[in-house]
Amino acid sequence: MTSANENLAFDALSDRVRRRILSILGEGEFTVTEIADQVGVVGRTTVSSHLRVLRTSGIVTERRDGRLRYYSLDADGSVRDAFNFLQSLLESSVRVAERDQDRPDTSRREAG
Amino acid sequence: MDSTATLSAESVVDLPVADTFGLFGSGRAEAWLFDARCERVAAGNVVSMRLPIDGDDRRSGRHGVELLGRISAVRPNSRIVVEHDQPWRGRIRLAFDADGAHRTRVRVRADVTASGIDWLIRRGGVALPDPAPTDALRIGLLTTKSGPGAVYASATQYLAELAVAEVEALGGVGGRRLELLVADDATDPALAAAEGARLVRAGCRAIFACTTSSSFDALRHAVRGDDVLLVHSVINEGGAVHSASVVRFGERPGAQVAALARPLMRAAGGRRWFLVGQRYSWSFGAHHAARRVLGGAGGSVVGEECVPLGTTDFAGVVDRVAASGADIVMSSLVGADEVAFQRQCAAAGLRSSTKALSLVMDESTWEHVGATAAEGVVTALGYFQDDPAAGNADLLRRYRDRFGPWAPPISSLSETVYEAVLRYARAVRHDPDADAAQQGRALVRPDGSGSAIGERDLLGRHLYLAEAGPDGLRVVDEAG
Repeated sequence: MTSANENLAFDALSDRVRRRILSILGEGEFTVTEIADQVGVVGRTTVSSHLRVLRTSGIVTERRDGRLRYYSLDADGSVRDAFNFLQSLLESSVRVAERDQDRPDTSRREAG
Repeated sequence: MDSTATLSAESVVDLPVADTFGLFGSGRAEAWLFDARCERVAAGNVVSMRLPIDGDDRRSGRHGVELLGRISAVRPNSRIVVEHDQPWRGRIRLAFDADGAHRTRVRVRADVTASGIDWLIRRGGVALPDPAPTDALRIGLLTTKSGPGAVYASATQYLAELAVAEVEALGGVGGRRLELLVADDATDPALAAAEGARLVRAGCRAIFACTTSSSFDALRHAVRGDDVLLVHSVINEGGAVHSASVVRFGERPGAQVAALARPLMRAAGGRRWFLVGQRYSWSFGAHHAARRVLGGAGGSVVGEECVPLGTTDFAGVVDRVAASGADIVMSSLVGADEVAFQRQCAAAGLRSSTKALSLVMDESTWEHVGATAAEGVVTALGYFQDDPAAGNADLLRRYRDRFGPWAPPISSLSETVYEAVLRYARAVRHDPDADAAQQGRALVRPDGSGSAIGERDLLGRHLYLAEAGPDGLRVVDEAG
């Protein structure tokens, strides 16, 4: 059973640096060094480990050319992942349990 | 039209059908779809549901995401259909069937459009490629599809689409096709900046922003070096612009308060005001303007409270308003914050002791507050659905023909975008390729527009005064 926040890619995206990497990749294909230069605040090793998470989640693809590795967005993977995420949202939407009436309700919001 | 995919899921609940059906909208169910908020489970009622999109991870610091829409069909103990417009357009159908005497099979089907999938991917932070440039004149709409601002922005994209379709039907702009790209700021200035930059990269010559002032300011900063016209096309606090390529339409709080202060003090039989707003430039500007106007009208401000956007609990604020002895409470809260505040004011019995002025009580916000809780709240805006202006009935008909009976109401916030896009198309038709400053000067040049819909004077700042009654916001007077 997967719940919404166990969804791989949306977990991968919960990190600010990873979201920054993705916005860089929105403009094209780059090497780790090029990405690290643009991210600025963290080193190349950290960027590499973030790229590994993003690749495992199917959001980013890797292309090798000689000794260099180029990273880009995997648009098909993102679409597939969005569908999987929606499916998990729908499954959780009908897993109806009545709220424990003895427990104070802290989750319900007043806002619309 | 958007292509649509249908997803489905089902589960079996250990309750009889009537009990399971009764959980929907009751506040007693844990599942997000059943935890819907609506006045009644009946066709026509607005509904909001919090999507569990960010899990329990609040590190992102982002506003939550609400599915906002309307119940379109109900068969008791059998089915519920919800049509939603935020954060994407879609339909959810729930079916209840007995599974033996004590259990219920619940099935849900959701229609999701390609733009819904796009929204989810962007929400995740993935920058999808933008459509390749064409020879069309491209404009951007920066609107709000999630976070507190989603409530008042519900119809914005539809009205922008309607304006573009009408420009296209008349042959485009100076012989060029007009093309609309849409972006969501999620009520977040940082996203407004990033999405604005994206719209510029995608070739937009003008961006119409139906966002908070802080998002608009972030947008201005992000694209200040680019040749792009920025049009703030919703109510805002104004202020010096210093650039021909930045245009701010929409109502101004000083004029709103000036139009309403004396009648409200007469009706309240008192002159003491309490101001409630958000902790950013819009409310700061609005309250400054209100103090100036009230000072001149013999009113006095006995209290003021500003809260961050995204506030849901107003118990403390409501207590302080009550304790202040104010005769009138003026709110500059926006969207979901205003919905929560007005509901909590009504629930606390504040309506019997104070009159309420709301600066941003448009039809969409009104229906989320609910008729009972909103009753008696007054406002002043440039457009209401209950607008006697020439062409209004026709606009409402074209809107409903295109977007259906369940689409959100048109309100000043969305109608101003419609007017702004039409005005832009007229202003730049002789030279669609003019630079942003030239376009901006053409846009604010007096063009003989008046009160008719489609050529409403966005600079004259005419206001209708309206009061929330049992059936909606009713125009009671005019000013300006």
